[in-house]
Amino acid sequence: MALIKAELLKLRTTRLWWVMLAVTIAYVLLQLGLTIGFAGQGGGPNGQPIFPGRDTVPFQELMWGLGASGALFPMILGVVMMTAEYRYQTITTTFLTTPRRERVVVAKLGAGVVVGLAFGLVVLALTAVAVAVSVPLSHGELVLSAKILRIAAGVLAVLVLYTLFGVGLGALIKNQLGAIVAAVVWVFIIEALVNAIPALRPVGKWTPAGAGSAVTNSGVDLGLGTDYLLPAWAGAVVLLGYAVLFSAVASATTIRRDIT
Amino acid sequence: MSAIEIRNLCKAFGPVRAVDGVSFTVEPATITGYLGPNGAGKTTTLRSLLGLCTADSGTALVNGQRYVELPHPLSEVGAVLEATNFHPGRTALNHLRVLCTAAQLPRERAAEALEQVGLADVADKRVLAFSLGMRQRLALATALIGHPKVLILDEPANGLDPAGIQWLRGFLRYLSHEQGAAVLVSSHVLAEVEQIVDNVVIIAKGRLVRQGSLAELVSNGDAAVRVRTTRADELVPALERAGATVERHDGFLRVSGLEAESIGQIALDAKVVLSEVAQERSDLQQVFLELTGEGQG
Ligand SMILES: Nc1ncnc2c1ncn2[C@@H]1O[C@H](COP(=O)(O)OP(=O)(O)OP(=O)(O)O)[C@@H](O)[C@H]1O
Ligand SMILES: [Mg+2]
Repeated sequence: MALIKAELLKLRTTRLWWVMLAVTIAYVLLQLGLTIGFAGQGGGPNGQPIFPGRDTVPFQELMWGLGASGALFPMILGVVMMTAEYRYQTITTTFLTTPRRERVVVAKLGAGVVVGLAFGLVVLALTAVAVAVSVPLSHGELVLSAKILRIAAGVLAVLVLYTLFGVGLGALIKNQLGAIVAAVVWVFIIEALVNAIPALRPVGKWTPAGAGSAVTNSGVDLGLGTDYLLPAWAGAVVLLGYAVLFSAVASATTIRRDIT
Repeated sequence: MSAIEIRNLCKAFGPVRAVDGVSFTVEPATITGYLGPNGAGKTTTLRSLLGLCTADSGTALVNGQRYVELPHPLSEVGAVLEATNFHPGRTALNHLRVLCTAAQLPRERAAEALEQVGLADVADKRVLAFSLGMRQRLALATALIGHPKVLILDEPANGLDPAGIQWLRGFLRYLSHEQGAAVLVSSHVLAEVEQIVDNVVIIAKGRLVRQGSLAELVSNGDAAVRVRTTRADELVPALERAGATVERHDGFLRVSGLEAESIGQIALDAKVVLSEVAQERSDLQQVFLELTGEGQG
């Protein structure tokens, strides 16, 4: 517990966390705005709308899942929690304080949970405001179904799990720039492709993005299809699995290396 | 039990045998200088002792335990190492508060430690704005945070100005001789630590060259006095009668077995004028200079 508190204090005493939070907010607001803007507009293959209309329940379900799109940023924060220690050579002091190194990794994962939850709650609050404003304006009726609760919980889970994924990735790669580039390339290029190309989807559903989509799956098909995804619980397990696997491999390899 | 015990420590980086069978101990309330030229293996020894490097063989213990097994390392050992740094965006005080939190030390220790090293004024400044000397002081505060009884310092004088070095010497002397701390301090400059160390361990190319108390190393061997006079023929018999061994050299005499003061007295009694009386460099300095390649031979 003390170590988790120390990790959170490390975050709070530097500036990066609020830069990342601001970027997350901006990005999610953009997503919410676009969805509101295009809701009910034509453009599908037969002229039917891609996004459900603002007065429909699927629209609300779709909106509640959008927060997950901001997961890249807490993930980067998770990466930096680990790599900054090597970049600024604070890792020496950290390991002198806690010579059992795997405890440091575990503490960072613990702090990552808190970070992910905090980001998730902010993102859900934004969503709540966006939904509460846009739906009544279009004379829709606000709903809070079990499905929406599941989606909202899924958003929290995705943000937490991506943060952990970042910590694990950072521990494995250690080089800050390298790890961030790897994360961005992975999320924006590899995962996006693998989940967009039908033939690759059997693989795609096992990627963090596929697993993340499973967790927040609203069932609203934006043209890419959602049937191939894992069940929500399995998605969460897959995401957690990545974080644990990376951290465990890192603890056994990179983290054990000599600090000279 | 020794505060620090290193036995047959070996550590290689590929073909480079950075530390090759080094053994020595450091006792409480003493200061040991760990000396050697650049690349001798000092940093590697200290990092192995602190669990940051894994030694290939041998043991390195602090208070009888391996560092990684210490339950509260910061309360037992304080370390100032090379290539250690601080997050530039974090303030000095926050840096120490993180340590207090992680090591479960009282919060007040952060401000106290800054006070101890004279950084109280800049507690809330980001480390970004710190000079090398200020960073070195902050590193020392980091080491002192848990009131350890063992201090390990790798070239702590780097970046300090003469006043800072003076302050550091006084501080280490106080911690060791008054507070009972065992201090191991490395340096590649003998003069930096000569004034404060009780014991010396010298390594070169990973191997132990000499170790012992400073007094022993200075007095053993042939610390001799050089004497210049135009009337050697009268002086030599007088010195020899007093038990000295005298070698005649071109233009000077090399006298061993007598202190410079006694030589002066004998010369006075014999009414011989001396144009120079000089203590030769002590053995320690000779050894060290030869190792560092700065000696004349
Ligand atoms: N990480 C490393 N990889 C490869 N070689 C290394 C590494 N660290 C140290 N060495 C080598 O080990 C030897 C001992 O280095 P070390 O840093 O321990 O010396 P030192 O006595 O601390 O020197 P200095 O006075 O320059 O600090 C050197 O030859 C160095 O090149
Ligand atoms: Mg060194």
